[in-house]
Amino acid sequence: MIGGREAIALVARREVVTRGRDRTFLISTLITLAIIAAIVLLPSLFGGGDDKATVAATPQALATAKAAKAVQGQFDVRIVPVRVGSDAAARTRVDDAEADLALVQGGRRIVASGGAPSGAVDALQAASRSRRALTALRASGADAATVQRVLAPRPLAVTQLDRDSDTRRAFAIIALFVLYGQILAYGVMVANGVVEEKASRIVEILLATIRPRELLAGKVLGIGLLALGQLLLTGVVGLGLAALSGQVDVGARELSVLPIVLAWFVLGFALYACAYAMGGALVSRQEDVNSATTPLTMAILVSLVLGLQAGQHADGSLAQVLSILPVSSPLVMPVRMVAGDVPVAEVALAVLLILAAIVVVVRLAGRMYGSAVLQTGGKLSLRTALGRSS
Amino acid sequence: MLELDGLSRRFGATVALDDMSFSVREGSLYGFVGRNGAGKTTTMRIVLGVLAADGGEVRWRGERVGRDERGRFGYMPEERGLYPKMPVVDQLKFFARLHGVAAREAEANARRLVDRLGLGDRARDPLESLSLGNQQRVQLAAALVHEPELLVLDEPFSGLDPPGVDVLADVLSERVRAGVAVLFSSHQLDLVERICDGVAIIEAGRLVAEGSVPELRETRAGRRWVVELEDVPGDWAAALPGRLVDDADGRAVVDLGEDGDEQALLDAARRAGRVRRFGPLEPTLADLFRDVVETRA
Repeated sequence: MIGGREAIALVARREVVTRGRDRTFLISTLITLAIIAAIVLLPSLFGGGDDKATVAATPQALATAKAAKAVQGQFDVRIVPVRVGSDAAARTRVDDAEADLALVQGGRRIVASGGAPSGAVDALQAASRSRRALTALRASGADAATVQRVLAPRPLAVTQLDRDSDTRRAFAIIALFVLYGQILAYGVMVANGVVEEKASRIVEILLATIRPRELLAGKVLGIGLLALGQLLLTGVVGLGLAALSGQVDVGARELSVLPIVLAWFVLGFALYACAYAMGGALVSRQEDVNSATTPLTMAILVSLVLGLQAGQHADGSLAQVLSILPVSSPLVMPVRMVAGDVPVAEVALAVLLILAAIVVVVRLAGRMYGSAVLQTGGKLSLRTALGRSS
Repeated sequence: MLELDGLSRRFGATVALDDMSFSVREGSLYGFVGRNGAGKTTTMRIVLGVLAADGGEVRWRGERVGRDERGRFGYMPEERGLYPKMPVVDQLKFFARLHGVAAREAEANARRLVDRLGLGDRARDPLESLSLGNQQRVQLAAALVHEPELLVLDEPFSGLDPPGVDVLADVLSERVRAGVAVLFSSHQLDLVERICDGVAIIEAGRLVAEGSVPELRETRAGRRWVVELEDVPGDWAAALPGRLVDDADGRAVVDLGEDGDEQALLDAARRAGRVRRFGPLEPTLADLFRDVVETRA
């Protein structure tokens, strides 16, 4: 006879192997990866953030256009100088929408199309100003050191507060949606798995061999491992693509998102999956799963909405409370942790509370599973199910 | 030996089992007979620990049955069910391993059983692609794959075609010869009579008769007599002493009760006409079943 741990491991293994081989699981993993890749890569593919401006310049004006390109970073614009033979040719380029701007009259006039990025005009103005100032200074006989001091003074020292709060907020929102999707999808998978065993009556043979709570634990563990693996893959691919595309600087702060998300997924999934298993044990048919698990799905959905709010006001008192309550903490706390700085004491309290909640739900679910899972036909009331175990 | 000792169980106000006691020896095939709702499935579920008894206990080889003992039991529930999408062999392997069989041995057992049951070429197919009869064979294999010491089978023959019945009967007697104790329920009384070493008849949660088929017959021996006459008037049988059980085409079956006088019956028959045949009637299990269940009803 096998021990409890071995029984749990065997049940978990079966879940991982059969579900991992399932085509729908593989497809859903690929789709998730594609979505993450799209979120990370699309902005850079569409040149997101910096606008591109083609500048047609005559040979006399070309130096100014090139100088503008040298300072384009300050103006959030990308300058592409194109050399043309004459002022007329430069204008034609703009008229034909082959160029956004033309630099004519030896660089003394800018011709801009309607859709030309304003940053490009500013960049050309700045470049031209510097060049003319340089010419004037040289003409006045100033020495090279003076010219340098005047035209390129030492920049001001900057103390940047919250340098990348936008990036962090974006990471927090992505983490929130990933957690939401993962806990909901795999929680429902647990409920369906319970009903599948109940509806196919295989549960009777299983319970002749192992205890209800071992069956429950193995199922939650197996499906949880599958979900965790998928999450890890998604996270690594997402961060890797972000780093490669140069969209964001992936540093320690960004990398810490992954362990935060994984840890809160484990906690949130343990809580919700056991609750979903209880919901599944109450009904006998696949069609009834949704109605039995509606309260759980609502709880997760509400947590998502509140989590979005917490992403905006990570230190608000509502976010603070919701990130500590076990029902919403798996979604709200990681958002706060990623978006801002959460005192260690608050995180510790939230973890303690959710662990306590998990213990309670696991006990309840184990007890209920034993009595409800053999009942077929109709829907059981929670009270009947908890009343007597077999 | 499997011993059921004074099992009782209620579901709300309904008494499902009341002081149920009987035993099944190793190396014997034991049939469990009773009407629908008599308590057969409840009894079997209690033996397997799927359901708890309110009172009484189940012992295996003298030990109160617990987790370790149940690991050496094989069970085929009345409501069949396996994982529909899981390949046949993987499924059997899973059940063997749940009963503590090592991985390699589990694989070998599963393969051997699948071949033995004539499903060798379907071993890798998902269960749901098999016909219902074949799914039932897999179900039996799931009960056998860990080579249990005790087999508990709830209606194993229902839904099988005649060749399937033969295969199952063969497999069961094979196991019995190997020393396995088998307890199974069935409504096919002729089959139970043919293959079982012992029978328990239950009614309304109580054991009403128990023993080998010859023993059960013995308890009813000398009660029933058959009389056959030539050229008889239509209502001759009504004049016979005892309780008329059957009357057709000059053949009458009469139950004389425990201390009946068969000579008086013969005299009465001779008064009615020429007696062609007269003698005691061996009761079938179906007769016995009808007797015990009807006299109680």
